[in-house]
Amino acid sequence: MAISDDPAYQPLDKVIELRLPSKLGYERVAMDTASSLARRMGFHPDRIESLKTAISEAVTNAIEHGNQHDEAMKVVVLLTARDDGLVISVADQGQKILPQEHTTPSPQIADVMERSDKGGWGIWLIRELMDEVEFTTAPSGGNQVRMVIHLEP
Amino acid sequence: MLEDDLTVTTRDQDGVAIIDLVGDVTTFAEDKINNAYREVTNTGARFVLLNFRQNDYINSAGIAILIGIVTEVNRNNQKLAVSGLSQHFQKIFRMVGLAQYADIYQTEEEALSGFDRFRG
Repeated sequence: MAISDDPAYQPLDKVIELRLPSKLGYERVAMDTASSLARRMGFHPDRIESLKTAISEAVTNAIEHGNQHDEAMKVVVLLTARDDGLVISVADQGQKILPQEHTTPSPQIADVMERSDKGGWGIWLIRELMDEVEFTTAPSGGNQVRMVIHLEP
Repeated sequence: MLEDDLTVTTRDQDGVAIIDLVGDVTTFAEDKINNAYREVTNTGARFVLLNFRQNDYINSAGIAILIGIVTEVNRNNQKLAVSGLSQHFQKIFRMVGLAQYADIYQTEEEALSGFDRFRG
């Protein structure tokens, strides 16, 4: 089978790669890039807002948890434009591996209000806002989250 | 450049303590928001309005800060409302459950009127 017959194959000219320093604030670069691409692909503005929130949470997790704020470590974001949607992959360099049980949280605000740490909403938001979400191990050994947002006809 | 893009100010309007939040609400906002809330609470505010403007970016760390405010508001028997959020962040506030603890209004004027029903 020729590689271009493989449904998983994406021409390189449709892939955007960002390598971001592990410093809070750089998630905005990923948000802006994804937003610009999604707008050109024809996504509805509401869906673009959802995409921006999801990608900001994924990159922030990679900076804070995966790479432990080590600015020398990179967060790699791949944006792949497909005819039916946008695939976003966010990978860190795995200073700290995310336990699988932390990838399906279901926080309840009444419980959270009782805790001193009021956080824990990021991955939940990603799952609520994206059409497909999968947590895996990156080729580099770090954490990787793959998200898909469908382009509705 | 990429870190701190929030201005927080407080004012009183018709007995409502308004906290204006102009800019982004992320982890860098924690001290500014908490200090503004403490300031209005120390002056005896019963009604508190978080008035958002130009908030293109509220992330989960920002949501955690706001849940902290909601927790304090409940503890202090105050009433809280929010105004000025974009449609997207109104949706996020409802999803998270913040709307159970704070009425959400489109505008500051609507929010100020909304407090009237609590006045005895």
